[in-house]
Amino acid sequence: MALRGICSPPHCASPPATNKPLLPAKPTAALFPFRAGPIACISSSSSKSQATEVTPSTHAEGPPLVSGKPRREVPLPSQEKKEGAMQYALTTMDQIANWARQGSLWPMTFGLACCAIEMMHLSTPRYDQDRLGIIFRASPRQSDVMIVAGTLTNKMAPALRQVYDQMPDPRWVISMGSCANGGGYYHYSYSVTRGCDRIVPVDVYVPGCPPTSEALMYGIFQLQKKMRHTRITRMWYRK
Amino acid sequence: MSTITRTLRNIRKIGIRDFLHQMQYQGDTKAGTFIAADRYGNKYYENLDDELPLRTRWVDYKESEFSPDQLDPGWHAWMSYIVDKPPTEDPILRTNQRSWEIPEHRPNMTASRGAFKTYSTVKPKIHAWLPEAKPR
Repeated sequence: MALRGICSPPHCASPPATNKPLLPAKPTAALFPFRAGPIACISSSSSKSQATEVTPSTHAEGPPLVSGKPRREVPLPSQEKKEGAMQYALTTMDQIANWARQGSLWPMTFGLACCAIEMMHLSTPRYDQDRLGIIFRASPRQSDVMIVAGTLTNKMAPALRQVYDQMPDPRWVISMGSCANGGGYYHYSYSVTRGCDRIVPVDVYVPGCPPTSEALMYGIFQLQKKMRHTRITRMWYRK
Repeated sequence: MSTITRTLRNIRKIGIRDFLHQMQYQGDTKAGTFIAADRYGNKYYENLDDELPLRTRWVDYKESEFSPDQLDPGWHAWMSYIVDKPPTEDPILRTNQRSWEIPEHRPNMTASRGAFKTYSTVKPKIHAWLPEAKPR
């Protein structure tokens, strides 16, 4: 037991009574074998069986973290309940701000390849993005969301980052298509960035090669859902 | 395209309660025949005579935070004008008929606790060294 400190990841430290090596019959240790400590702890305890669990607020469960503290389940931002008059007031302000943000989503078009064709179809009358308040802007300084549509090459990556840096806060990024998500077809090419999330933080990934306009629109709906659950003034008040 | 006369006509048909409900959820006043409700509880309507093309079928979502993934697959096909008949009339689109179907409709669980996470089912190839001192 004194030597236990050598076996550093906590999930592989078996109870002191059993000296057996790890067998695959132990599911949690076998599924998540050897990663960096805290990441393995996060991923090993959130299994699919928690799909229906709504608010596990603060109960310790599972193995302790590497830091020695017990693991805490934190509810998702959309699952947190309102407490007190101040939170109710701030929630209303958040709702107003989020409503305004959702209603005028101006994308910076970063059309790089064939995905841009589908992105253009979104603006045509059949899908008609104007009814959602989405107007394509050519300038990053006037836009809220960047739609990275297509293969991002290494040569284009500094330009993408620069355009992202020029966008004013709050800003979001939609990664559209396999190539922007993770390199896609050109994953093993010498000149292609393997996913635009290596360059900019991505909010919504739209899969497909290319995704249909409906898929991109669904991605925009997901982004709007994310905006709806953003707690702007509540986070400010908490600080 | 909505005119005052059309709105007033539809309000007369559907009543003030449905009018407010529709303005809250879809921002337009529509009157049509109720087709059916799906397993999840969404209600589907149709009006082929008075509405413009591609606006003749609509859905009244069950949840206030609605999203198109809450529609059943067959109803999605009907809503998107992929098929002519709704799943209640089309035997091919009927649910709970095939053995491999899941009994209930599952919406997209992204950004919730039920979101998909990748996991490995492969036995780990390397194990940490468990120090074990044999008794002497």
